[in-house]
Amino acid sequence: MHISIRGQFRTNRFGQAGVVILLIMAALALLSPVLAVDDPNHQTHEAFEPPSLAHILGTNHVGQDNWSRLLHGARTSLLVGFFAASAATLIGLIVGGSCALRGGIYDAVVMRFVDALLIIPAVIVLILVAAYVNPRLPLLIVLISLLSWSGGARIVRAQTLSLKERSHIAAARTFGGHGWYVMHRHIVPDLGPILVVEFIHSFRRAVFMEAGLAFLGIGDPTTVSWGSIMKNAVDYSYMGVWGWWLVPAGLALSLTILSLTFIGHTLEPMMEPRLMEEAVA
Amino acid sequence: MKTLIQRNIPTYLVALLVIVSINFVLPRMMPGDPLMAIYGEEALVAMTPELKAFLLRSFALDRPLWQQFLVYLGQTFQGNLGFSYYHSAPTFEVILGRLPWTLLLVGTALILSTGLGVILGIESGWRRGRSLDRTILSGLMALSGFPDFFLAMVLLLVFGVFLKLLPLSGSLTPYSGLSGFALALDVLRHLILPVSALTLGHVAGNYLLTRSTMVTVIKEPFVRVARAKGLPDRIVQYRHAGRNALLPVVTRTGIWLGRIVTGTLFVEVIFAYPGLGSLTYQALLTRDYAVLQGVLLLVAVLVLVANFCADLACARMDPRIQHAY
Amino acid sequence: MLEVRNLTVTYGSDQVLAGVDLDLPAGDSLVLVGESGTGKTTLGLAIMGLCEGTVNGSILFKGKNLLRLDREALRQIQGNRIAMVFQNVNQVLDPVYRIIDQVIEPVLAHGSQSREQARLRATEILAEVGLSPDRSVLYPHQLSGGEQQRVLLATALINEPDLLILDEPLAAIDASARVEIMALLRGLNRKRDTTLLTFTHDVGMAVKIADRMGSLYAGRIVELGESEPVLVEPKHPYTRALIRSYPNMTTSKDLQGIKGRLTRPVTGCPFHTRCTQAIDICRLETPPLTDHQERLLACHRGGVIPLMRTVGLTKRFGDSVAVDSVDITIHGGETLSLVGPSGAGKTTLARMLMGLLEPTDGTVYLENQETKVDDGFYRRVQMVFQNPGESLSHRMTVLELVREPLDVQRICSRQAAENRTVRAIEEVQLPVNGDFLTTYPHHLSGGELQRVAIARALVLDPDLLIADEPTSALDSSVQAKILRLLLSLQESRGLSMLFITHDIALARKISDRMAVMIGGRIVEEGPVNTILGSPKTAYTKALIESASSLQKDAKNIP
Repeated sequence: MHISIRGQFRTNRFGQAGVVILLIMAALALLSPVLAVDDPNHQTHEAFEPPSLAHILGTNHVGQDNWSRLLHGARTSLLVGFFAASAATLIGLIVGGSCALRGGIYDAVVMRFVDALLIIPAVIVLILVAAYVNPRLPLLIVLISLLSWSGGARIVRAQTLSLKERSHIAAARTFGGHGWYVMHRHIVPDLGPILVVEFIHSFRRAVFMEAGLAFLGIGDPTTVSWGSIMKNAVDYSYMGVWGWWLVPAGLALSLTILSLTFIGHTLEPMMEPRLMEEAVA
Repeated sequence: MKTLIQRNIPTYLVALLVIVSINFVLPRMMPGDPLMAIYGEEALVAMTPELKAFLLRSFALDRPLWQQFLVYLGQTFQGNLGFSYYHSAPTFEVILGRLPWTLLLVGTALILSTGLGVILGIESGWRRGRSLDRTILSGLMALSGFPDFFLAMVLLLVFGVFLKLLPLSGSLTPYSGLSGFALALDVLRHLILPVSALTLGHVAGNYLLTRSTMVTVIKEPFVRVARAKGLPDRIVQYRHAGRNALLPVVTRTGIWLGRIVTGTLFVEVIFAYPGLGSLTYQALLTRDYAVLQGVLLLVAVLVLVANFCADLACARMDPRIQHAY
Repeated sequence: MLEVRNLTVTYGSDQVLAGVDLDLPAGDSLVLVGESGTGKTTLGLAIMGLCEGTVNGSILFKGKNLLRLDREALRQIQGNRIAMVFQNVNQVLDPVYRIIDQVIEPVLAHGSQSREQARLRATEILAEVGLSPDRSVLYPHQLSGGEQQRVLLATALINEPDLLILDEPLAAIDASARVEIMALLRGLNRKRDTTLLTFTHDVGMAVKIADRMGSLYAGRIVELGESEPVLVEPKHPYTRALIRSYPNMTTSKDLQGIKGRLTRPVTGCPFHTRCTQAIDICRLETPPLTDHQERLLACHRGGVIPLMRTVGLTKRFGDSVAVDSVDITIHGGETLSLVGPSGAGKTTLARMLMGLLEPTDGTVYLENQETKVDDGFYRRVQMVFQNPGESLSHRMTVLELVREPLDVQRICSRQAAENRTVRAIEEVQLPVNGDFLTTYPHHLSGGELQRVAIARALVLDPDLLIADEPTSALDSSVQAKILRLLLSLQESRGLSMLFITHDIALARKISDRMAVMIGGRIVEEGPVNTILGSPKTAYTKALIESASSLQKDAKNIP
């Protein structure tokens, strides 16, 4: 399966747009200390200020600079997204792979569990747990990843099962390779495209979940998040300041999710070679 | 057909078990008095010692963990989900009271988003590559990036605040004393924005799945045979291709429902719609754990039931499953 | 009924149909044979208006050009006046609807019948094709492949179309049902006057249901004529090769394939890369489909050519006539066996053809030109003698023996000669290591010797190989191998062969046509089947009777 990731992007306008947007977001996030005009938590006395030279996007209800908060929000979202997705993909790989390779009762039992997790609406569980635990960012990342790995596990298992039957795997086993060796030397490389796609999906879900939790007020209170910005903004929507307070945060969040959706959609044909010929521009 | 259902029932039971376990474990994992974890600090302060002792025994908190679990399981199945101090009523009743509005919201959004998504998907898939398809695809792809709560906010601002066309909050105009048709109309007016937000937020997923399935189905030989019969295009498109493209969508309905329910949570908060979502938010603010747990359980049950129904529907719709060789 | 003119169909840069001309009068039954990739299905789809490629040319159905009709007008004809029975593949029926519901669709789409009436009609038709009512309420996945095929047939027939197009209609059907369905199709054609256009690679079926038969190659019709003549005497090299490669009870010659494979696009004649008789013009220009004595043929050379022909060839030794006014023809790419008892004059004839003996009278023509026995002639005609022990010099090694013709003719360098020699030795499946090449004949077995002789004959790349009883001196198991070798050489090189033998059973296995020679005269000549099936002379009959048969009682072997 020599599927070129670059190749997919060369022809797909959606994918290209997605990558561009994501890179912009990442750049903003990385450069936030530089680009931010002010410390995002610094409360000035000028609340609800419209955009001005000092505050490009105005200020919020406690006088904090919206632009700086927006940038730091980017950081939070991308950080949480990236790490949660990495963890989820890794867990999915291990669980899915081991199920496929071991088979038997292990497989049957664990897959029941995986299917069950798939059905349970993750956000609601997250809300409950967060209500108890009041998580900080690291714990939040862990929680999100714990609730989103099951989709990937299923897919990894399916693919590993089909790869297992292919002869080069069988060959490896004939000279004594087993279990982990086979997994990491032969199967994982072939799983590459699928893992990438799953990673993108998990990233997207994680960004969404983090924002949602922050919106409800149970994210990490010490970090700035687009979700919490939006929540505050909505509460004061009657003040007429939502144009530069709510909308940028919402747009930033939407664009980030959108870029991930586009990238995911472009890469999806890699999971099914048959769809490759029909990949839509 | 039986085997499909049989295959999935254990999964549903496991899911239920997982939820119940989470509900069980969380308060007992917290440091300090488990009773406080279950009821929250404020509630505890208001309790008399006798009440506390009673609760301790009824939760079997003085007995080993596994026995506690069994007691808890028993209570849950009997519908005893605890007591909400905030609402001064049993949790079960509180939740049940709010359920209908959420069901209205979720149900309508599910039907609309699925219906719209499927129809657009069929039309798009049929004309793959041509201008209508490209337009719809671009449009919905762009839409798919927006989380439903942002859409809700935008809709609220545009239609509620800016244009003042539709009400800003609630599900009814309070104290209006309307009845019959007028009442229905009022409910509808309040329903439009939240349902639109949810529908718009979730139609893309359905659409994309239907579209790609449609593209595959069109290549199947029987579609060509149908056209060779001289059937009008519409009939080939819907009766043959569309019908076959429907199957994967139905399979996914359970999952869609889970997502819509999640979205409803946020949307209700934004529109102050008196359903489970606002209830949850309230419970969050007051740390009313009993209610939170109850909502989680109920939502999980709802989603599982929906999945089960989707399995049944799927089995009925696909003769290959229903009338196996 | 149907007139197709210069139909071309292109998918992107692939030209699938390259100018098809077809005339189908009402009530006719035409079968087009061709293998996969030749464009059969595409032709059917184009006529139906279901083709997704770029279609050019014209398709006139009852005078109206189908390619110019608007969507609605075309739809009214589809499934109604023209219907197609598709190839039976997986998922050819909609899996979510019952059979009967799918069969009534064409009726409901084209008429004003009620649902009940349509159902009655459908049940009727299904019964006609052999599907009982209790099967027709089932779903497609519950039916066997053969049953699904019948459903497709019923669906196409239900509106009593004027033109029925069938694409491999018998592919999934088992042997006993084939007879039924072929009878049904024939009945449709004869009684209801339905025009049939069938595409298949099954030559045997073709002859049973068709009045006319044609072959389709690389998107072009290359031959078209009445079925029996085409089958018995195919004129186009492709048709001939197709029939040769098809197992059936009539042809007794062993199966042979066609060298090479279908490639396109190709300039010139589409078949020239695989043809046994391609010349320069075949490479450059596409031959048009033209009339050749009641047959349409697309070949620059007018069909299979007569490679060597004799007119009135006679040889007298003093008073006795060894060969008496012989007229025989050996066509390009075929094997003609010359059968007769010893002393009939076969070897004499062979020697005359080879130029080893001067004829007393008559002429030998090589491709319609009088032969001049010179170096050039020997590059085209070569001979393999009966006894390899004698025909190979004892003094030369294998390599030298096989290379000798090249040495004598001096047509290429030493090195090139070596290469050709080695290749020839490889072709006859002998080892090419140093040891073997330097062996002397007396170390070799009879079979190996004969192979060396064949290699020697091949090294000049001749068009015609005259084999005079090449296997009579060998054991029968070795004989079998040599014969297989000759057949495979014919396939890979497009060789023509004149095979001389007294054994008619042997001749039957190796030749396309047969000439029976007695007392210096040719008493019968024609396709093997015809001669063995209806022998005209007493001698031939006797020959057949006395031929080896593994059956207890002497019987006529057709």
